Amino acid sequence: MNRNRLTTIVERSESGPYMKEADFDMTLMKTVMKLVKEYQIEFDPMVLVPSDDDLADRVYQAAVELVLEMGFYNQSTQRRILFSREEIDQAVSLAPFELLLGEGKDAVVERHREVEGMEPCCMHSGPTGTPISEQYHGLILQSCAQEQLVDCLGHGSVATYQGQLIIPGTPLEILAAQRDAVQARESIRKAGRPGMHIEDMALPLTCAGKIATFMPDKGMRPSDGLLVSQLPELKTDYDQLSRVAYLSSMGMHIVDLMTPLIGGLGGGAQGTAIVTVACHILGVLLYNVSYHFMGHMSLQLSHNTGPMGLWIQAVAGQALSRNTPMVSINDLYPRAGLGTEQIFWEVAAGAMIGAVCGLHQHGVGATCGNELDHTSGLEARFQAEVAHAALGRSRKEINDLVLTCLEKYQDKLVKPDLGKPFPEIVDLDTLEYSQEWLDPYNKVKEELQIMGLDMVGGWKKALMLRRDH
Amino acid sequence: MTEKLLTKLGDAIKDGDEESADEITLQVLDKGVDPLELIQKLVVPTLSEIGRRFQDFEIFLPELMMAGAAAERVSGHVEAAALKAGTPSTTLGKVVIGQAEGDMHDIGRNIVTTMLTAHGFNVVDLGRDVTASTFLETAKKEGADIVAISALMTTTLPAQRRTLSIFSETGERENFKIIVGGGACSPEWSDEVEADGFSPDAAGAVELCKKLAS
Repeated sequence: MNRNRLTTIVERSESGPYMKEADFDMTLMKTVMKLVKEYQIEFDPMVLVPSDDDLADRVYQAAVELVLEMGFYNQSTQRRILFSREEIDQAVSLAPFELLLGEGKDAVVERHREVEGMEPCCMHSGPTGTPISEQYHGLILQSCAQEQLVDCLGHGSVATYQGQLIIPGTPLEILAAQRDAVQARESIRKAGRPGMHIEDMALPLTCAGKIATFMPDKGMRPSDGLLVSQLPELKTDYDQLSRVAYLSSMGMHIVDLMTPLIGGLGGGAQGTAIVTVACHILGVLLYNVSYHFMGHMSLQLSHNTGPMGLWIQAVAGQALSRNTPMVSINDLYPRAGLGTEQIFWEVAAGAMIGAVCGLHQHGVGATCGNELDHTSGLEARFQAEVAHAALGRSRKEINDLVLTCLEKYQDKLVKPDLGKPFPEIVDLDTLEYSQEWLDPYNKVKEELQIMGLDMVGGWKKALMLRRDH
Repeated sequence: MTEKLLTKLGDAIKDGDEESADEITLQVLDKGVDPLELIQKLVVPTLSEIGRRFQDFEIFLPELMMAGAAAERVSGHVEAAALKAGTPSTTLGKVVIGQAEGDMHDIGRNIVTTMLTAHGFNVVDLGRDVTASTFLETAKKEGADIVAISALMTTTLPAQRRTLSIFSETGERENFKIIVGGGACSPEWSDEVEADGFSPDAAGAVELCKKLAS
């Protein structure tokens, strides 16, 4: 197979085995159940960060077998796109392992990370696709972009254009998508980082909407990225594949967005870990991505900071790190909102796992994206600080710390502290955080310091390591 | 003997064993068990318990879907038996369900469909990205009792409003109960678009449909 596989993918989408989607789902469920048993994948809620290399390798092998047996489903043609073992192995081996994100002085190099490795995490921030109002969008983006420990900027989903609800597939979607692209460029300029990598425009739902944001003079540039989505589980369609065609030819970074559902078609933690790894393989084979967002989330509550979500991040991260050259990034979705202590505990647990299990960092999707305007730069700064402080620690040590963090919030996952949105805890003129927001940040940092994480000097040491790498 | 068979049938549904559910249902009906009672006294309570365990996340979607598939096999035989005997249909009503236009999500709607079917509703699933006119025409053609429109994203809420409007503008609004659901919905939104109800989850959707269909 050559690098531009789209003609092959379309050919196989048109000629692959026909299967009703409901049958694909049912077969996938049963196959995953079988693989969990066959590969003896077990979930221990007291060991959320396993130090078991063989387990990680078995999860990877199970995922490859899932891909071999099921292929990927094209909803547009109701056919399965199948690949041989050799094709899978070849494509995975050739997946990008080192990326230049952004341009000029603001560019960062993001590399494949090893388990318990010393390569510092890159920090992707921003609203991570969560709902943001037209009114505060620019300020929120600037708040994230100006944080020194943030390397790349995410984007929010703004639901209105000049006050009108945006309808996908209409001119409003195009107008709003272009508005947001221009806004993002302006926000990074105001932050003093005009070359910063912007990872996506979250608002557009259609291919036309996404590609309308590519305006190198004032919107998205080749050094930026756009998300191409998978549909749960292991599915795609021609709208998504068409984005790949365009982005490839424009030289933009293609970013893999997967949302394996914990409790969904993959079942519990074990099956969802296998599906998560299989989703990464789809991202390589079908989308030729630069990097992946490991966006698994609970079907029940939409978070990934509960025991199952944390375990999946740990195990899938290790499986990918040990067996592929891929660049994968966690995608933290805590239940709590801004202005609360709970959010920092949830982020701490997720960030530590990413750091020792071969991932980079992406966050924070506060309130699981349910509440409006729940993003600022502070929680992203905190995520980076924790990740850097966790460098060089073992999985066993981090497991103990994660369990301690989990105790602080586990009984609040169903009814979390929702806190306050951005305009109520950030000065809208100066973009300084209120004391009400800094207090829980400082408190949790102090407690983590007492627990043994170097929250004061850790990030400095990490940035020196980055210089040396 | 019949009691033992009923217990085995209950277990087959819980285990998602379609083949066993199929076989045992035929045996049970052969023994003269009333089809309606089989649904009301065995299938519905079994699936309600499975639904509760799913809501509490004690089990997950595969177990729910497989139990639903097994229960559907039972319902199929029961419907056939009822038809043959000329007894009234066991269905609680007909529901046309679909994802609002522009919305490409499935899983939540699939769960609701499974639960509604399991509880005795006849469900016509229109799938994803359903236009307002398709909801209308299908509801009329199928003689639906309830139309259920799902929207997972804020950006697809306008399509729910558009669907309700088209029912009103064509004078069909009073002929159907229309409910809304999905992650982007809320009771406030349901009131704003003048829907007949809203449910935040699948179990609630079943209860709402039962109430509206009675």
